[in-house]
Amino acid sequence: MARPSHPKKEIEEAIKYAETEGWRVKVGGSHAWGKIYCPYNDHECRCGEFCTTSVWSTPKNPGNHARALRRVVDNCANRKRVRDADPVVED
Amino acid sequence: MEYTFTLKYQLNEQDSDFDALVERLGEAGCDDALVGIGQPGRLALEFTRAADSAKTAVRSALADVKRVAPSARLIEMTPDFVGLTDVAEVVGVSRQNIRKLMLAHTGSFPAPVHEGSASIWHLAEVLTWLDTKGGYALERSTLEVSRIALQVNLAKETRRLPARQAQQFSQLIR
Repeated sequence: MARPSHPKKEIEEAIKYAETEGWRVKVGGSHAWGKIYCPYNDHECRCGEFCTTSVWSTPKNPGNHARALRRVVDNCANRKRVRDADPVVED
Repeated sequence: MEYTFTLKYQLNEQDSDFDALVERLGEAGCDDALVGIGQPGRLALEFTRAADSAKTAVRSALADVKRVAPSARLIEMTPDFVGLTDVAEVVGVSRQNIRKLMLAHTGSFPAPVHEGSASIWHLAEVLTWLDTKGGYALERSTLEVSRIALQVNLAKETRRLPARQAQQFSQLIR
């Protein structure tokens, strides 16, 4: 069954973007609209806390919230790709 | 202005019901934060908070979380502890560029917090140094927020040190 859409257009688009990157969506809550789950949430993940991220129903600024959600998806996907291709070495 | 920063907390067992916690955060006006609950016993909030200064934004965010989850212990505020790659990302230049700068100015480049296989600096110190040097388009909000993050993290760390010990050592180091 298809999940319900998020009432705010830009947030719905950010959620759809997360889905195309393999994130799972679970709907539920009141202030919270639901949650998104990273497909790579394993012990090697560096950005662990945001591997599960809460999505607000009516955030103060929907544009900012949508951007923040996209950032989480991008950071994680990027890290994954970067790490697979070329391990990051700090000095 | 809008300030973006992250607060990472360690949660006590009584606050381990994430869904209830998220609802309370929403109730308390923290819906300007992205709430990350991907690790057991941890809570991360990436705020994008509008305020007249970074200090006001961070103070109100800390107060909000304290009200909602009094037992939560702050682990770290970001952006503060950074490697050269992080600095390069913030400034918008290559890592190589920052590394060259550091090697060319060993005397004046800020001293790291930790030196080792992965060296760590305070972002505020590196940004302030770059700002003084000039030639870099630094975002004022990032500079301001990194300075507050440094203060918050230091305030948190000094709690680990008994006052008497701090005095004894501070005379011997500079």
